[in-house]
Amino acid sequence: MDEARFEAFYRRTAGSLWSYLFRLTGNDAAADDLLQKTFFRFLRANPALASEEHQRRWLFRTATNLAFDHFREIKRERVRMDERIREAATVLEPRDAMRHDMMRTFEQLKPRERALLWLAHVEEADHEDIGEALGVKAKSVKVLLFRARKRLGELLTRKGLAP
Amino acid sequence: MKCAHESNVLRAAADDRWTGALRGHVGECEDCAAAAAAAPWMSRFSRMSDRERLLPDPAIVWLKAQLMRGTVDVARISRPITIAQLIAYCVIAGGWAGVLTWKWRAVQAWIGTLTPTGLVHTAARAESLSLTFFTVVIVLASMTVTLALHTILAEE
Repeated sequence: MDEARFEAFYRRTAGSLWSYLFRLTGNDAAADDLLQKTFFRFLRANPALASEEHQRRWLFRTATNLAFDHFREIKRERVRMDERIREAATVLEPRDAMRHDMMRTFEQLKPRERALLWLAHVEEADHEDIGEALGVKAKSVKVLLFRARKRLGELLTRKGLAP
Repeated sequence: MKCAHESNVLRAAADDRWTGALRGHVGECEDCAAAAAAAPWMSRFSRMSDRERLLPDPAIVWLKAQLMRGTVDVARISRPITIAQLIAYCVIAGGWAGVLTWKWRAVQAWIGTLTPTGLVHTAARAESLSLTFFTVVIVLASMTVTLALHTILAEE
């Protein structure tokens, strides 16, 4: 892939990939970092894929793996990070507070549940693609997704946000 | 396999535009009911503005990837040298261990003479270790020095 083609591809895909990574990690610096790592891997592997849709799936799969590696690395710092987020919440504007509250709600889900919900609801990926991205069988996705939706529903009910 | 109606249910729930048939289906399908419950919130959450700064520039990402590719290539090319270096370390360490084992008694005796008077006596006497031993020691010492210099210079 030459630079011009890469740039065009990047401009078409990086935005949605960044949003996914940001929702998974809850951290814009981590999303930037993981986004770049994903594209580095993409350029290094230069996968011979049939279509842009396949390349896109490749990106989301790689980004998911990198994000899960990132979670393993920061597991120990998790409590401290949560404390920092809670402290920051006290000085937010109302609009930011709502945004922050949504992020906090989503963060209460497990990383895999977040990935499942985002890929199914926002990327509208089918179960095969989700399974491939998460390294689980497509058949399992149905059950896992159902559980993730239930978990989100419970969280929203607890916060009085359920429809 | 996901339910054939799931995509329509997600759209209907996100936009709150239901048809009677879809509502009826959601009442019967557990998966779609869960999807419909999560969809409005997920829709709002996905539309939430998240990017307060620009994405990394693609030109920078491209450049960094090229630099990283160069680093990876260098590591790949220099792998045989690294392996040869490791083998050399092992050979030299094994050589020294072998020599010491082979001539341990003689070496021990020689160490015993390393006193000021012992040195004078040893120098005066013709008694010494064999020529083979000294040759091996000189070869091993040269290899050790060469490898040490190579390691130091390579790191610099």
